Amino acid sequence: MKMLFAQGPAVKLDLAKKLLLLNWPFLALITAIVLIGIAALYSVAGGSFDPWASRQVMRYCVGLALLFAIAFSDIRWWLKGAYPLFILALFLMALVPLIGVESGGARRWLGVGELSFQPSEMMKIALVLAIARYYQWLPPEKIWRPDALIPPLLMIGVPALLALTQPDLGTAALFAIIGGGMMFLAGVSWFYFAGAIVAVVVALPYAWEMLHDYQKQRVLTFIDPETDPLGAGYHILQSKIAIGSGGFSGKGFMHGTQAQLNFLPEKHTDFIFTMFSEEMGFVGAVILLALYLLALVFITFMALRCRSMFAKLIAGGMGLTLFAYVFINVAMVTGLVPVVGVPLPLVSYGGTSMLTMMIGFGFVLNAHVNRRVTFRQSELGGLW
Amino acid sequence: MRRSKAVHYGAKKKPDYVRKQSYRFSRRALLVGGAQAGLFGLLGWRLHQLQIKEASDYRLLSDENRLMIQLAAPSRGSIRDRTGAILAEDKENLRLLVVPAFSKNLPETIDRLSRIVDIPRGARDRVMRAAARQSGYYPVLVAEGLTWRQFALLNVLAPQIPGMQTDRSAYRKYHHARPMAHLVGYVGMAGKGEVDLDPVMRLPGFRAGRAGVEKTFDEQLRGTPGTQKFEVDSRGRVVRELGSTPSTPGKDLVLSIDHHLQAVAQERLKEHRVASVVVLDVETGGILALASTPTFDPNEVVFKVDPKAWGRIARAKDQPLQNRAIRGQYPPGSTFKVVTALAGLHAGVITRGRRVAPASIGWAGPGSGVGALMAGGIDVHQALKQSCDVYFYETAKRMGIDHLAAVARHLGMGRVYDCGLPGQKEGIIPDVAWKRAHLMEPGTAARRSSRASVRASSPPRRSSLPSCRPVSQRAAPSCRSSFSHRTIPEPDWPALQLDPNHLDIVRKGMFGVVNEPRGTARRSALEIPGVMMAGKTGTSQVVNAHNEHKLSPYERETHALFIAYAPADKPRYAAACVVEHGGGGSSAAAPIVKDVMTEALLRDSASAGLRGPEQG
Repeated sequence: MKMLFAQGPAVKLDLAKKLLLLNWPFLALITAIVLIGIAALYSVAGGSFDPWASRQVMRYCVGLALLFAIAFSDIRWWLKGAYPLFILALFLMALVPLIGVESGGARRWLGVGELSFQPSEMMKIALVLAIARYYQWLPPEKIWRPDALIPPLLMIGVPALLALTQPDLGTAALFAIIGGGMMFLAGVSWFYFAGAIVAVVVALPYAWEMLHDYQKQRVLTFIDPETDPLGAGYHILQSKIAIGSGGFSGKGFMHGTQAQLNFLPEKHTDFIFTMFSEEMGFVGAVILLALYLLALVFITFMALRCRSMFAKLIAGGMGLTLFAYVFINVAMVTGLVPVVGVPLPLVSYGGTSMLTMMIGFGFVLNAHVNRRVTFRQSELGGLW
Repeated sequence: MRRSKAVHYGAKKKPDYVRKQSYRFSRRALLVGGAQAGLFGLLGWRLHQLQIKEASDYRLLSDENRLMIQLAAPSRGSIRDRTGAILAEDKENLRLLVVPAFSKNLPETIDRLSRIVDIPRGARDRVMRAAARQSGYYPVLVAEGLTWRQFALLNVLAPQIPGMQTDRSAYRKYHHARPMAHLVGYVGMAGKGEVDLDPVMRLPGFRAGRAGVEKTFDEQLRGTPGTQKFEVDSRGRVVRELGSTPSTPGKDLVLSIDHHLQAVAQERLKEHRVASVVVLDVETGGILALASTPTFDPNEVVFKVDPKAWGRIARAKDQPLQNRAIRGQYPPGSTFKVVTALAGLHAGVITRGRRVAPASIGWAGPGSGVGALMAGGIDVHQALKQSCDVYFYETAKRMGIDHLAAVARHLGMGRVYDCGLPGQKEGIIPDVAWKRAHLMEPGTAARRSSRASVRASSPPRRSSLPSCRPVSQRAAPSCRSSFSHRTIPEPDWPALQLDPNHLDIVRKGMFGVVNEPRGTARRSALEIPGVMMAGKTGTSQVVNAHNEHKLSPYERETHALFIAYAPADKPRYAAACVVEHGGGGSSAAAPIVKDVMTEALLRDSASAGLRGPEQG
């Protein structure tokens, strides 16, 4: 392998080499998780590929095509295109309040019907690319300076504020976690993070006032779901009942009473983990979590092996995205955090989240394929 | 710090910074990875807590969610008469119910249902009240007696109407309904007090006996409920049945009543506004017929009850719901002379054949038999036959009221009998103590007791006892024959402690009333060759000085009474009849008894061959 990268920068990889360099075990791992998801959707539909499992297979195939396309593309394009892409995503997010489609009390979508599209999903990718691009450019010796914090904070803050206006608390929190985590990985001083935590604690009461009533209600019922077992606390309570009643070995595939008898809300999307752990029990749930953790380990080691900061941060940022999704979703359905409407990546039914994750993994693999590549300043593109 | 155009960030220049940053990234990436693993550990701990430590609690909650246990109402035992004809039985009833807990919006659900089934306003209010009063998981009855078409349609629509249920239960059907109404009674929903005793009563359509033998033998007829275990989904729709314990049907009840005789008796009473007649088998104590008019149709009050129809029956003129045969309290009039005669003979103030002359009485007033008395006195036989008031005034006066009351009680008057009918009223046997309690002058007591103011209540007691006991009745009156597979032990019935000669004197007198010239019921003698009836007429006055001006012409009319037994030489049946405001006992009551008794005797001889040795 070392032969391929005798001296970094000028290497041009052809497709055959790229195929060799691709992290195939990681791809197999992702496919395994997706297959578990398809089995779960098959069970949720009462033992039928209709209406969810079959479509999920189709989406996975489309996602896989996108993954390969991105993984085998030239990383320099993305280095050059990171900021324009970010600005495009920001522009689309800004359009949402003006011409967006409203659904379920929140305005998050652009377009009509089946072709609707969520700019905030695009932003999750664009944000990772833009921050990675920023720290690729930033001279390492300047990283501690306060003025160097301003651009990334703006990159995180503006989309997060736009998400909050939709209103979409979950996405805003995700932006903060991904952006903040990437800044930490890039090497921003510990003191800034300590300061930020203090600032958040101080600002919390004011933020509380800004929340919508339904969001406040979610937080309150999260703290004590038993107070309103038939109302707002119903979802959390039923989810906990389902998971708990699964026990060690579960009720058996397609025999989860809570899910099959419709006591579970959103069982095919946000609460699919609940349904899975009801039927497969503690063993199944831990195996699924272990697969996710393994995927995170893969991503972390892929990030470590990259030479350029851009590639490292892309892999690290996508790892953070995957982690944030999985953790928030599972913590939500087990009653550890409030219900914020975050799907379980690769398993939950839903085109947008599946495509976002596959594109994200495409970038991880792209960084992995180009792990030996370094950049000249002239390659950074014209923006700075 | 050197700068050149050829610097490759992340490559060779400024190796200290670049390597430092690379190392820092590695450190922090491992740190973040460690933190992620730690947080996954937190999730694992949470799953362990939910799925292993608290699993049994959650399993219970999950079962509570999905399991619905319903009580299944048992089928009620049927009621038959002595010939085996069904008087009351359970029939299939297609019903519509709602479970309020599973219905998102109850009024809207009812609106949707009312498009298929007619739900009157009253029924709707009742459902809303029931839903508010009891646990939301108890089904509430909305409509019953659906047609097959409605039933099928509802079942098809069931998935779209949460909280709706249909079921096939039973309703009570009464045969020979109108003649049997008072005796068999009817069923109804359990009252509020009863519901708290037993949750079974809260089942929609569960029926408890409300009147008649349905009420008396309710516990035996009711049976015990079973349970059905269903799996339901989040909207309460049954997914499948998981198992059931069957309910035990109630026991069947066989009555001593003869539905044919009952129908004849009821038909015969029809010409009067308020009347009742009872026929007893003196050998067994079994009540063969117990009719009361006016009557009603119990089918109207048990199934698809329209509150208006119920109100109409409950408030109708002459109160058809009242069973006159056991609840009417009438002064016995001259029929009580049978008791007075027995008591007098027992006390020794009168004896067989000894004539009582007018002079010895020193009292003459209006009343039947006065002419005979003037002609030189009469004996006890004549006095009974012609119903001579003066003779019995004198007898009562000589023996004193307490002796008379004691004999009356010994004969079984003034008591409530465990005859299987609820709501009996006991009669009043006045004695000195009773008079004192009612602030009456003791001196007037004797005279009153012989005639009007002794109120022995109902025909089973008043009439059957003075008439049957003299011929040695062997069992207490009862309308219950047996439950299937089991006969009920006969209650203790003490033997009569009277001189057989005295009884014979009174029996002959009663024979004379019907069969001898100048007997008061001569016209009602039986027309069956060789079979005689013995009896006593009674006519009791309603009007007195206090109420004379308040009563309508109908209400001023006297009550007509007649008591009898037959055959006279070998008593088998005893009968009694009261016709309210019917006029004279001989003209209104005796002909009814004659016809009913004839029917009983003819039926008896017709079926004698079949029943064989039962004839006593």
